[in-house]
Amino acid sequence: MSFRYGLLALLAEEERHGYELKTAFERRTGGQWAINIGQVYTTLQRLERDGLVEPAGADGERNDYRITAAGRGQLDEWYATPVVAEGPPRDELMIKVLLAVAAADVDVTDLLQRQRRASIEQLQAYTRRKARAHPADDLAFLMMLDALIYRTEGEIRWLDAAEARIRQSPNTNGGDR
Amino acid sequence: MTVAVELQDASRAFGEGHTRVVALHPTNLSVNGGEFVAIMGPSGSGKTTLLSLIGGLDRPTSGRITVDGQDLAKLNGSGLAVLRRRVVGYVFQDLNLLAGLTARENVSLPMELDGRPAKETRAAADATLEVLGVRGLAHRFPNDLSGGEQQRVAIGRALAGGRKILLADEPTGALDSITGESVMRLLRSHCKDGGTVILVTHDAAHAAWADRVVFLRDGRIVDETRAEARESVGAGVA
Repeated sequence: MSFRYGLLALLAEEERHGYELKTAFERRTGGQWAINIGQVYTTLQRLERDGLVEPAGADGERNDYRITAAGRGQLDEWYATPVVAEGPPRDELMIKVLLAVAAADVDVTDLLQRQRRASIEQLQAYTRRKARAHPADDLAFLMMLDALIYRTEGEIRWLDAAEARIRQSPNTNGGDR
Repeated sequence: MTVAVELQDASRAFGEGHTRVVALHPTNLSVNGGEFVAIMGPSGSGKTTLLSLIGGLDRPTSGRITVDGQDLAKLNGSGLAVLRRRVVGYVFQDLNLLAGLTARENVSLPMELDGRPAKETRAAADATLEVLGVRGLAHRFPNDLSGGEQQRVAIGRALAGGRKILLADEPTGALDSITGESVMRLLRSHCKDGGTVILVTHDAAHAAWADRVVFLRDGRIVDETRAEARESVGAGVA
């Protein structure tokens, strides 16, 4: 995702300067994506070049920016467009398992179980953070954790399904265990 | 640290000769008081058999099972019934709340069966419903409650009267994610208060609320999560 939409979304609320944009973006998205201030200014310059934001007038040392009508148009379009992945992602786990199934000397069942355990341990770590969060104060953080948890859960479901398929298949090296 | 539940080479087989099916091979498992353990595994891996043995709903073919310091083999049917009324509570996916009884009556029923006076069981039921956040629903019948509310009442029934060990078999099956999470928070807090939970589930996101996840396959414990991973895994989320 381009960070430019993040800046447009924040500037659509109110005029802000670079450092405010950095801290607001980090807070709003659950505090997990640290943004370098240089990246904020480079992106602002590009947005200004493209006519999507403009300086709101000097305020001492600060340079506030505001969104333009064209910027709002692009932001609205972004919100209105569903996010659809193009083609399967190059997922290391998926590729590793697919290669292991065909390899004669890899115990796929063990590989799947080691991965399952590691993924559940990862889920436990996310869940402990969730248990400590305050539902009223940490909405963005909780939603971010939900996303990570359900993604990892999906990975585990895939491991379970892979194991069941391998057990049903007569032609794989993990099928006789 | 006290041991709440212990299996020593406990197994369960059905049938004889060539029709013999081993649901659980000789298994060792020790669960401490205050611990929350989840048991995961595919269908037919022996999860429910394991839970039934711990709850005294079924007897092992071999081996020994100790619950709250009592050897289950030494308890007869009524001894097991007393254990289930005073020490071990069950929550199933199918809630089995009695439709003709209010939430409060459902929760107090096991205590009444245990011969405790009505005034005492009523107060204990209300106290439990209060902890579970459904005290205001005490007079309602199960059909007037949402799925999440019914599950809270069912947990209340399993815990009321001070039962310490909760056995839960897919207790969140019919609930949406956020309601299911609130049930997991309840189980978690039961352990924080010194109780013990053994949860059987397919759902990894729910199993992750446990201190330890045990993996069953083909009637054997094949793996479990590592305690040391608790501190080291998950870096990258502040």
